[in-house]
Amino acid sequence: MKIFWAFIRQAFQFASVYRFNFFVEIFLTFVRMYSIYWVWRILYTQKPGAFGVDMKQMITYGVLGVAMQIFMWSRVQWYIANQVKSGAIDTDLMKPLDFHIHMLARSIGETVIGSALALPALIVAFVFLGVSLPANIGTAVAFFISIMLGFMVIFHLNFILGMLAVFTLDIRHISWAYMSIIRFFGGQWVPLWLFPPALVVIANFLPFQSTFAIPMSIYIGKIAGADVIKALGIQFSWMVALALGSRIFWTWAHRRLVVQGG
Amino acid sequence: MNPLRLYLRLVGISMQARLQYRADFFTGAFSVIAMNVMSLALIGILVYRFEALNGWNIWQLFFLYCLWLLGHCIYSLFFWHFWDLEEDLIRGTFDQFLLRPASVFIQYIGREVQYIGFADMLVAIAGLALSYVKLGLHWSPSLWFFLPVIVLSGTMIEMTLNLMVACISFWTGRSSIALDMIMEFNVIVQHYPVDIFGTWFRVVVTGLIPVAFMNYYPALLLLGKIDKAAVPWLGYISPIVALLLVGLTTIVWHYAMRRYSSSGG
Repeated sequence: MKIFWAFIRQAFQFASVYRFNFFVEIFLTFVRMYSIYWVWRILYTQKPGAFGVDMKQMITYGVLGVAMQIFMWSRVQWYIANQVKSGAIDTDLMKPLDFHIHMLARSIGETVIGSALALPALIVAFVFLGVSLPANIGTAVAFFISIMLGFMVIFHLNFILGMLAVFTLDIRHISWAYMSIIRFFGGQWVPLWLFPPALVVIANFLPFQSTFAIPMSIYIGKIAGADVIKALGIQFSWMVALALGSRIFWTWAHRRLVVQGG
Repeated sequence: MNPLRLYLRLVGISMQARLQYRADFFTGAFSVIAMNVMSLALIGILVYRFEALNGWNIWQLFFLYCLWLLGHCIYSLFFWHFWDLEEDLIRGTFDQFLLRPASVFIQYIGREVQYIGFADMLVAIAGLALSYVKLGLHWSPSLWFFLPVIVLSGTMIEMTLNLMVACISFWTGRSSIALDMIMEFNVIVQHYPVDIFGTWFRVVVTGLIPVAFMNYYPALLLLGKIDKAAVPWLGYISPIVALLLVGLTTIVWHYAMRRYSSSGG
């Protein structure tokens, strides 16, 4: 636990160096929320009640999707790629700390700081864009658990992506494609229930809906009652599968790792 | 050597340097195409449900997206390295341009090319051609002539805005967050027609960060929707906006050069 705390503190110190950036980021997050707000507002005025949820819920979903972009900010994949490229990865391997745990701690640190950016923008959105709170305490608790599981799923996906650098050295281009796939099949912007049926089938087989779509759907009450348990179960299974998978992958990559120069 | 020849020479050299990495080109191109397809698919899914977005049907939205992309891809081919200006200043590598007996500006802008822009160009041209056919457009010769002017104006608008903002780092040492901001507005204008937003946003993208002239206003003209604009001449003035920005950028660059003090890298 002490390790996680240390990394959160480190991430905070890193962020506080660029205080101006911090405020601009908050502003940009709000601008992004604002644009999503107008898209849904216009679409709903055109064709009210086309989607099974009301406008307020949809706007909440959209704004939340922007706030949860902080999930994308964990830079462990870049960290691993840079360390592999420069050869500095050997210093990470020498640390008396499991590499997997180290990366998790780093990622949690960055995400906690990211939340500090998302929260002010979210509060402004509550006041000006008519975003709603979870319907009841139970929903809030379920959302909280779901967001934690979602974080773990995306962390492991990032971790696996980063380890690809051991083989390809550069992950820049792969990660562009990766991010747009997560945005798409994760339902970060357009909710999955609006997708054509064929795409929904594909999305259900992929781990990406566990990242954004499930927590956000729980929040607005689109997933409710017994379905919540089922959805959390899907997230949990993906988390376990990806944690095991990435562990095995790391063991293998570690053996293949070539440290250049170092 | 005259400035244009020098610039072309520099671009040629940068291009040769880039061509060393073929595999990188293909993975990059593939990723860029995938990104664009995903974005267009999301717009498609939305509009397929709602039929139109404030009177813009799916092909008109694709047109809007691709018109922006065509101007942008030329920018990204030649000027992507503005993002690294702050790094050059921090490390002191900017000094190399000042040591040579040639225009600092020409040397700087000719520093690098980014071939990834070709993939964007492919998507943009395909998208524009497809929407032209699907929308059953018939442009007069003058509109056809105006198209390249619009595209190049778009490139110049994005280039000058980004260069001016990158120049902030001559004063503050950092500019990437400000470049992020320009990009944010760009991306919004690329994806959605400006008329869906509230007044302040429209004012910002028209007057303050005039990215709406890259695609929105000219698209109104090209798609025969010019009555949507507050005043119809907004559809024609993209080249003028671009020229004004070029003038402004010249001034900013001039002051930035006077301000420059090396970090001693």
